[in-house]
Amino acid sequence: MTNLFTQFATTEKASGDIFTSLGIDGQMLLFQVVAFLILVFILSKFVFPPLMKAVDDRQEAIEAGTKAAEAAEKKAEEAQEELAKLLKEARAEAKEIVATAKDEANAMIATSEEKAKSRAEKIVKDAHEQLEKDVIAARKALHNDMIELVALATEKVVGNAVSKDIDKKIIADAVKENA
Amino acid sequence: MAGARLSRRKIAAYFADELLAGRNVAKPLAAYLVESKRTREVTLIVRDIEAALAQRGVLLADIASARELSQDTEHTITAYLKNKTAAKDVHLRQEVDESLLGGVRIETPDQRLDTTLRHRLDQLTASKI
Repeated sequence: MTNLFTQFATTEKASGDIFTSLGIDGQMLLFQVVAFLILVFILSKFVFPPLMKAVDDRQEAIEAGTKAAEAAEKKAEEAQEELAKLLKEARAEAKEIVATAKDEANAMIATSEEKAKSRAEKIVKDAHEQLEKDVIAARKALHNDMIELVALATEKVVGNAVSKDIDKKIIADAVKENA
Repeated sequence: MAGARLSRRKIAAYFADELLAGRNVAKPLAAYLVESKRTREVTLIVRDIEAALAQRGVLLADIASARELSQDTEHTITAYLKNKTAAKDVHLRQEVDESLLGGVRIETPDQRLDTTLRHRLDQLTASKI
């Protein structure tokens, strides 16, 4: 290290120019500055803009994606809430439907029981009426058979029993009765 | 008698008067009915003649009984009919029908009295329900 400084001092002293002492070529430096500026110009003109634009686009896309993700998440939350709400309503509705169905079933059972009872009563009533009709018909038949029998028996008995004298008395009585 | 169509009442009145006058009316009546083509009305006209006779005090009665009537019974019936119709002369046409069993059925042109046992039995049978 000490050698390096020593050599530097020796060279500067020999040339009398600091750039020379440092090993810098002025023309070369100028050339490099110009080249650098040209490079900067070219880069700023043709490379940086599309690159920046791509970066900006990318950032926008990322932001849009983030926003979309947030929106989707928000929508998902809303959908979840909506779903929960719908589920709650559906459960309530289902509960109501079940309750209504139970009530209707109970009503139908009550109606059916009432109908069955009415029908049974009607059957019993009809049976009683039919029985009464049958009894009346049997009585009529008995009455008619009895009359028929009495008429036949009377005819048989009277036909043999009525003598001439009895017939004469019957006629006399009838005439007297109608006189 | 020929000519215009006479009513049954006029025919009956005419032949009733003829009968009461003692004339036989069977042939003239038959001839008239044939001539006037009213033979189908013979039964009705005979009944009308009997009714006309009854109006003139001569009663023809159909008597039906189960056996032949005695004279006493005939007198009883005749007296009954005279009393009932105020007829002066009563003639009985008797018919025996054993199915009547007993009693008597008396039919005059405007009345009917059925006291037979058959009739009473028929009434009993008709009372069936």
